Amino acid sequence: MLVHYIDLSWRSLKRTPLVSFLMILAIAVGIGITMTSLSVYHMMSMDPIPQKSSQLFTLQLNTTDDGTTLWTEDNMPMQLTYKDAMRLHTAETPARKTASMRSGFTVHMNNQELKPFLSEARLTGRDFFPMFDRDFVFGSAWTLEQEQSSSPVVVINEELNDRLFGGENSVGKQVYLDDTAFRVVGVMKQWDIYTKYYDLNNGAFNSPEPMFIPITLVAPMQIASWGNNNGWKYEGISTFEGQLKSETFWLQFWVELSTAAQVRDYRAYLQAYLEEQGKLGRYTRAVPKFNIQNVNEWMEYNNVVSEDNKILVGLSFLFLAVCLANILGLLLGKFLTRAPEIGVRRALGASKRQIFLQHLVEVSLLGFLGGVLGIVVAQLGLWGIRSTSNDYNALATMDVNMLLAAPTIAISACIIAGLYPAWLVCRTQPAIYLKTQ
Amino acid sequence: MLEIKPIFNSLLRSKAGALMLLVQIALTTMIVSNASSIIFDRMEYLSQATGYPEAEIFSFSVMSFDKNLDLTQKFEETETMLRNIPGVKNAALFNAVPVSGSGSATGLGLQPASEGGQDARSAYYMADENALDTLGISLVEGRNIRPDEVIESQTREILPKIVLITKTLADELFPAGDALGQTIYFGDKPLEVIGITAKMMGPWLKDSRPDNVAIIPFVSASIFQKIIVRTEANQRTAIMRQIENLMLEDHNKRVITGLQGMDDEKQNYNAADTLMLRMLIVLIVLLLSVTALGIFGLTVFNINKRTKQIGTRRALGARKSSIISYFLVENVIICLTGTALGSISAILLGQGLLDLYSVPALNSLYIISTVLFIITISILSVLIPANKAANISPSIATRSI
Amino acid sequence: MLSMKNISKVYQTEKVQTHALRAFDLEVQEGEFIAVTGPSGSGKTTVLNIAGMLESFTGGDYMLDGVNVGSLSDNQRADLRNQKIGFIFQGFNLIPDLNLFENIEVPLRYRGIKSAERKRRIELCLEKVGLASRAKHLPQQLSGGQQQRVAIARALAGEPRFLLADEPTGNLDSLMARQVMELLEEINHEGSTIIMVTHDQELARRAPRNIQVVDGQLADFTLYQNKTMDALAAQAGQPAVEV
Repeated sequence: MLVHYIDLSWRSLKRTPLVSFLMILAIAVGIGITMTSLSVYHMMSMDPIPQKSSQLFTLQLNTTDDGTTLWTEDNMPMQLTYKDAMRLHTAETPARKTASMRSGFTVHMNNQELKPFLSEARLTGRDFFPMFDRDFVFGSAWTLEQEQSSSPVVVINEELNDRLFGGENSVGKQVYLDDTAFRVVGVMKQWDIYTKYYDLNNGAFNSPEPMFIPITLVAPMQIASWGNNNGWKYEGISTFEGQLKSETFWLQFWVELSTAAQVRDYRAYLQAYLEEQGKLGRYTRAVPKFNIQNVNEWMEYNNVVSEDNKILVGLSFLFLAVCLANILGLLLGKFLTRAPEIGVRRALGASKRQIFLQHLVEVSLLGFLGGVLGIVVAQLGLWGIRSTSNDYNALATMDVNMLLAAPTIAISACIIAGLYPAWLVCRTQPAIYLKTQ
Repeated sequence: MLEIKPIFNSLLRSKAGALMLLVQIALTTMIVSNASSIIFDRMEYLSQATGYPEAEIFSFSVMSFDKNLDLTQKFEETETMLRNIPGVKNAALFNAVPVSGSGSATGLGLQPASEGGQDARSAYYMADENALDTLGISLVEGRNIRPDEVIESQTREILPKIVLITKTLADELFPAGDALGQTIYFGDKPLEVIGITAKMMGPWLKDSRPDNVAIIPFVSASIFQKIIVRTEANQRTAIMRQIENLMLEDHNKRVITGLQGMDDEKQNYNAADTLMLRMLIVLIVLLLSVTALGIFGLTVFNINKRTKQIGTRRALGARKSSIISYFLVENVIICLTGTALGSISAILLGQGLLDLYSVPALNSLYIISTVLFIITISILSVLIPANKAANISPSIATRSI
Repeated sequence: MLSMKNISKVYQTEKVQTHALRAFDLEVQEGEFIAVTGPSGSGKTTVLNIAGMLESFTGGDYMLDGVNVGSLSDNQRADLRNQKIGFIFQGFNLIPDLNLFENIEVPLRYRGIKSAERKRRIELCLEKVGLASRAKHLPQQLSGGQQQRVAIARALAGEPRFLLADEPTGNLDSLMARQVMELLEEINHEGSTIIMVTHDQELARRAPRNIQVVDGQLADFTLYQNKTMDALAAQAGQPAVEV
């Protein structure tokens, strides 16, 4: 029966080619626009590490005086001070934790063959790799001993490994960062994520850094951050030492907490820590305030999906509504014109349900065709976005979910739009339409 | 003549089709009004003047990885080399590049920071006496920095005592207009205002105070140093192509990066807004087209459905113009109702957007022009099929069904 | 007052020429009641269309009430049609979205007649056809016979000089057909000139003058000149039937 209905529907569409074309076009454009903005939204807001996102938490500690206002909505600093970050980094609890900072170096091999180039680098603890599920192609992360002794070791990613060492196993080989010789201890698998969720302060859609070195090198090598530095009070800092001791915020901190109990325990720990720091006279604050947010909460807090994007998605759906109203009007007209034929069918024994079903199949076919065409329109739209701005190269694409969503949304929308006309047609008395007029 | 009452009654009787058109028109009015408001706001933002001769200026960063280098001395040589390139008007070391999205800012106050008091948020550039000329900015009051007032040092033991500020910053701190000669405080350090400059923007166009800028005559050459160069406009491309080689010849333990003209820099900073602008424009163009086509299609459909009726009317004495005006009136009734509904919805949507997001308040001008525009394209969309309808022969009335 | 001389109508479709009427002559005096009959496809509807200025003609002259129709513009023809001619169609052709009152109003509005006068005429005509109580109803709510009566009321409301009826009883049963026919006779008595196309021989016989159109040309049978139904019935020895 379904095949029969599809056949009937196809013939019906062919009978009024212009109207059918206009309807399919209207759906296609509506779906195309909606999918364009929805795809970007989807990519931006996607959980980047779904298997662990609720177990990885980032910290914000309010180490300012009571009454200090910052530029965030809840007046919480976005990063930590060096003192706090390193103190928590070397604490006993929890099992996995890491301070984190972005910097950069000139990379060269101290020979004439390779032209020196600039590369970003991330400074972290060794826990970073298991925490964020980073696998290694060769070697592994540095050892605890290397970290504690501030050894000049580096983990590089596959791309950098290809560039410097032709893709071979480079563990143990040497590379110069600025003028210091570093030894490669591991080659990390390429990290393909759309959103740089572990550091949203400095370019949410940049690629992850190609090099990782121990955070314990910050002090001895006097490595400056390439990220944001924010202060809340005047401190007259003039040396790197001063910077390390200051209340400026310039490092990030992540922990892994697998159970609710662990979260509770850690909250208590931080509470105690902040109270202690307050008593030491660093700041005057009656009630310690801190935020622990998991990956998705952190992305939300940082407004990764921009306002503009949310507005566009909203407007797109409204646009789709207009297209649907368009189609509804045309469907009404088309179905009601066909009423005499329906009258004949009913006289010949078709039940209301069968008529209703026939029409729903017809609108579904319309939706399907419109949805498929809509994918083409969306691809065009996404291409347009990609060609405007490099930032969106990875974001402005349709993944499998979006590709399936397009015809699904189209068919659902058409069915909703078609319900009323279909119901109208099947409920009128056949006799009326068998009379001549 | 206008048969308003019967047309209205007949619309009420066959509501559904007209209702759909009404809904379309209302939604279109609602969307287009708000979208055009956002579009114009963005266009205004994007076309704002930065104050700089953007086509003449480019910047780049130098990463020096020679541990043993005397940075201050080396960069003095570099600056001299750059200034001597034919076609270059001036060049200087800066701590930040305008409109790049990256830089430094602080609160400059009337009292030392430790004593509190009023301060104004301001971006600051640290550069020597060539700063103004390199940026192409003129002075409106006072004088430029003298070479002997510039502090070049790797430490902060000695600090400059003077500062140049923009007129906007001067007006904020000294509303009476007497900024020249006054002292302002960078933290606890006093700086005398010796000159007031014309409008120039800081590194962030989206800052809360984008044109509060101070120029402090302090140069501390760093291993990651930014340099700004100003050239004759038509020489810039050629010079930019040579820059990396010239810089590496000057000292080869360097990496040159981020070479970009100021206008491109601004474009990058504004990429997201430009994108939003384009998408919104595409959206409303498509929306208006869909609505126009919808009206067209529905009218054609109605006419086909009512062919017999039209023939009958002609037989009963209707002129061709009466037939056209019949459809026009029908359409205008739907249009006016739809746009009225749409205008109210537009106001509501505008209010909602204002509350949730940082968009400007919806000016009723946008609603009015949208309504007028929609009515116009609506009438145009009806005219063509209506014209065809008028040509239906009255003899249709006598043809058998 | 209606005079067609040597009227020809040719339909041109791609390669085929169809002569619907050739060398057609017709003279109609005021107050006449003419039935036009003929085989299917003979051109009788064309005669009506041309008479009512619904179609143009290819050759010949058509004078209506002293006006040369061929020289009129489209607007002038529409105006003339509106003022002088009333139509009754086989398919009633009532506008489904309008109620009875509004349907009858249509030609009056085109004439520019003022609202109060329109109301007066419409109520009068509805009364005449016996449907005054259903003025606010829609055509779909009426039977075929009732719809035709509304169509007649519409034709009458304009106080036309000519009534052109195209198979006015074609879609009605014999009872209603007779009702309509009586109405038409009454109207004719009141002074309107009626030209009626019909294929019903019995109906045709009731009209004082008959015309036959065969192959696009006129054959004039004046069978029952100036006889009424009563006279016929008396001839046949049966009482006249009241409906």
